[in-house]
Amino acid sequence: MNEVYLLPRRKLESVVARMVERNLIYIPVVNEGKAHFRRFRPGEPSEWALEKIRPVEPLKQFFMKFKEVVARPGASFDKSSSSQVIIGAKACDLRAIDVYDKVFSEGEFSDPFYRERREKTILISADCPEPEETCFCTLVGIQPYPMNGFDLNLSTVSKGYLVEVGSEKGIDLIKSMPTLFQPASSEDLKERDEKRASATRTLKGINSRELDPQLPKKISDQTDLKFWSREATNCVECCACLHICPTCYCFLLYDQPHDGESERVRVWDACYYAAYARVGGGANPRPEFVQRFRNRFLCKYSYFYHYQGFLACSGCGRCISGCTAKIDIREVLWRA
Amino acid sequence: MEGVNPYQPLTAKIAHIVDETPTIKTFVVQPRPLDFQAGQFVEVTVFGVGEAPFTPSSSAYDKEKLELTIMKVGRVTSALFNLKKGDSIGLRGPYGKPYPLEKFKGKEIFIVGGGVGFAPLRSLFLTLLHDAQDYKKIYVRYGARTPQELVYRRYIDDWNARDKVDILLTVDVGDSSWEGRVGVVTVILDDIPVKVKESPTVVCGPPIMMKFVTQRLLESGFPGSNIYLSMESNMSCGLGMCNHCRVGELYACKDGPVLTWEQIKDVDEPFV
Repeated sequence: MNEVYLLPRRKLESVVARMVERNLIYIPVVNEGKAHFRRFRPGEPSEWALEKIRPVEPLKQFFMKFKEVVARPGASFDKSSSSQVIIGAKACDLRAIDVYDKVFSEGEFSDPFYRERREKTILISADCPEPEETCFCTLVGIQPYPMNGFDLNLSTVSKGYLVEVGSEKGIDLIKSMPTLFQPASSEDLKERDEKRASATRTLKGINSRELDPQLPKKISDQTDLKFWSREATNCVECCACLHICPTCYCFLLYDQPHDGESERVRVWDACYYAAYARVGGGANPRPEFVQRFRNRFLCKYSYFYHYQGFLACSGCGRCISGCTAKIDIREVLWRA
Repeated sequence: MEGVNPYQPLTAKIAHIVDETPTIKTFVVQPRPLDFQAGQFVEVTVFGVGEAPFTPSSSAYDKEKLELTIMKVGRVTSALFNLKKGDSIGLRGPYGKPYPLEKFKGKEIFIVGGGVGFAPLRSLFLTLLHDAQDYKKIYVRYGARTPQELVYRRYIDDWNARDKVDILLTVDVGDSSWEGRVGVVTVILDDIPVKVKESPTVVCGPPIMMKFVTQRLLESGFPGSNIYLSMESNMSCGLGMCNHCRVGELYACKDGPVLTWEQIKDVDEPFV
């Protein structure tokens, strides 16, 4: 079992203040009722939102920027990234990092920019005591509190934060500030566990129906385009669901001239766009939107599962919150 | 950045350019900038324009040069066609899986090409020819719309004169100079000279040709696991990351670009 310490509430600010000397720090703050990751700058007042559900923005922005130069064809190219600390990531967002690790780090080829950012990132996650209507992490095998994949994890209790150590980086952090952390008591742990159980119960209430245990097969076997067409009826193809999805990782490479040279840009892409899979001569394997709609479900709930053994969905519900057509992905999965 | 940057191409020089047909050119890159095995592909960059995937058309054993036979179809290929001898291009790769030549050994190999689809097959053919002692016989069936659109006509007679080689050409529409066969490539499949149960057959051509040739091969008794098909797909990164090239569950870039019919038979529309 991992070591757990108690950090008095006000001392979190001291921890952040110590870390900001060497790192960029991102922490959720509330804006118009929702949590957003914001860069922490000393002296700027802001209300941290560690208890709210996952921030609006997915974590992928910290590992793969929306748009960035990745090469200079015909010239030389190198770049490095800064050390960063991400505070307040939820269990669903840690699942997304598992997805990126598989794709960008553990395949035959790996992405040097991703690997460097991953190495230079400290992840201080947090429990998710107040799930909302869009949350369904428990349907995809995640609990509303992180169990692994973090350096430190924070659980809010009445005396402050319980800090669970999840990695060597986490141990080093605690050791670097020994006076701030105290041993956690069994009462503290009991309080944490009760809050966690309560959050899980809330999620059970929100999602009364489980997903089919054979979901990958069910999705790949659903070949009736009439079904997918019905589900896609209201979709306006804005792609918000895909860009805001933490486990969507598709990107496009394109070249452009820059100062007399050539630069290669990587930008997030989305499989709903009509030209997504189009080839050089103009032929398109998925010309109809219904094919692209179905492809998203195949990719997340069937293909990825077959390659990696887990779903490329974290149950974060961002796609539900972000959908202008009010499509609820859970309902599509239940009906499939 | 940690380690090798797989997005960064190396720079190579076009030693000369051969006009194959009005819309197809062979770009000879020399010295050969990278190794590859038959069936693998490379990403070719036109600086400031972009990149596109191509399977080389030269032998994997040719250490001197790398040849790319390319048809002008889109933005990147149009820019390539504007390049001159001596110009530089970028190259990344090789990517993808080579032909499983171990499985081809001792067998009759049946190669079917259409149009510019013969380009990657030439690489395979020359690679097989280099080790001709390892194979029983190499059959090539190649068709194009017109005699002018057949690539590599200058080599065909020499190849056909070699031991263990049997090449037949056909065109959809002949002309006064054409003395060969006339008819779409499936017509020369009426007479299949190989043992269908055990001979690997390799197909590359335009989608419609791939579709009908595959159908004909299956009807003739070739098992789907022995029909090797070059898949056209949007291979943007080539690294198995960007996801654009998915053919059903598989990645054209890392599982292919050559996939067997057995691997893709459940995909809705494999030939696009």
